[in-house]
Amino acid sequence: MVESNISSDLIRGHIDTIILKLLGDGDKYGYEITRIIHSKTNGEFELKEATMYSGLKRLEHEGSILSYWGDETQGGRRRYYSITKKGRQLFDKNKKNWELTKKIIEKLI
Amino acid sequence: MNDRIKQYLDGIFALYDGVKSVNELKADLLSDLQERFCELKADGNDDETAFKITIDSIGDIEQTVQDVANLSRSLERQVLTNFSVSNLPKSDFAGVTAHKGKFEVSTLCGSDFSGADLTGSSFKISGVRDSNFDGTNLTDCTLYMNNLTGASFNQSILVRTEFNMSEITHAKFTDVKLIDVKLIMTDLRKTIFENCTFNGVDFNYCDLRGMSLDGLTFIGVKFDKTALNEVTFKGATLKNVSFIAASTWTSWSKKYYRAIKTICFDGAMMDKLTFASLKGLGADLSKVTVI
Repeated sequence: MVESNISSDLIRGHIDTIILKLLGDGDKYGYEITRIIHSKTNGEFELKEATMYSGLKRLEHEGSILSYWGDETQGGRRRYYSITKKGRQLFDKNKKNWELTKKIIEKLI
Repeated sequence: MNDRIKQYLDGIFALYDGVKSVNELKADLLSDLQERFCELKADGNDDETAFKITIDSIGDIEQTVQDVANLSRSLERQVLTNFSVSNLPKSDFAGVTAHKGKFEVSTLCGSDFSGADLTGSSFKISGVRDSNFDGTNLTDCTLYMNNLTGASFNQSILVRTEFNMSEITHAKFTDVKLIDVKLIMTDLRKTIFENCTFNGVDFNYCDLRGMSLDGLTFIGVKFDKTALNEVTFKGATLKNVSFIAASTWTSWSKKYYRAIKTICFDGAMMDKLTFASLKGLGADLSKVTVI
């Protein structure tokens, strides 16, 4: 579980987009999101709970995602997050911006 | 160990206790941390290591809590101005948080406010008859000149709530502690109070004729210039209760003195001051216990 300050700062600006991408594949609850990020990056990046919930609550507030209670039969109830149409549009826009930025940065460094 | 995680979160969230959106964040976080802790244990970590890694996964939560509190405050602000001069019968406001909300000159008959936190809200001249205020926090609310006929107040929080000049007929208050509530100039003859205590409540100019206030507790309550004919306080407890007629010898005060003599205090308990003032007014205190 390495989280060097430099990489986390660079990644942090894209947390919202990363969350939107994951929710685009299906509804998820909080810990599920951190776990998927952990496994997708082979443990090279750990998304802190605080950072994730800042993103989730911000996205929910602007209407890009919505939340609902799951119906777990055992254990505590979980709040699931689901992407909205507005959220999908935001993801497409952010992804295009990222492709463009990546090209520019690659040319420059 | 789950308790230890919960205690840790209680510490972080203590400052924001009561902010609904923050409570939700806390609940989400708790279930995430519990799941992580269980996984770490299943991977063979000992309690202490698993706890440390779990807590470490939270990150800088203070900023997040602050952000979430700010987001919800802006939501509450949006709610504020919306409900004046509205026609919204049978609306669902159950569980909402709307501090200093304005529900003025509105029609909200039969609405559900149960469990809502309406601290500081104003319901001036509105119709909220048959509405449900069960468990509602109405601290510092103004319900001036409302129609509250048939409204339900079961275990509501009533602190400094003003019902002045409202129509409260057939409203039902059960298991409520009324603290510094003002009921000035209300007709309470058909209002139901069950298992209630009245602390610092102002009944000035109320019409309580023929009411049964048996077994209820009144501390620091004012019945000044109240219509009290045939009221019964059987087995009630009265401490520092004030019964004052108008200051001059008017027909109104004569009526007040006559009414005091018709009140039944049988089996009531009262402190010496209340006892003395009622005795001075000629009340029948033969079956009263002084405490």
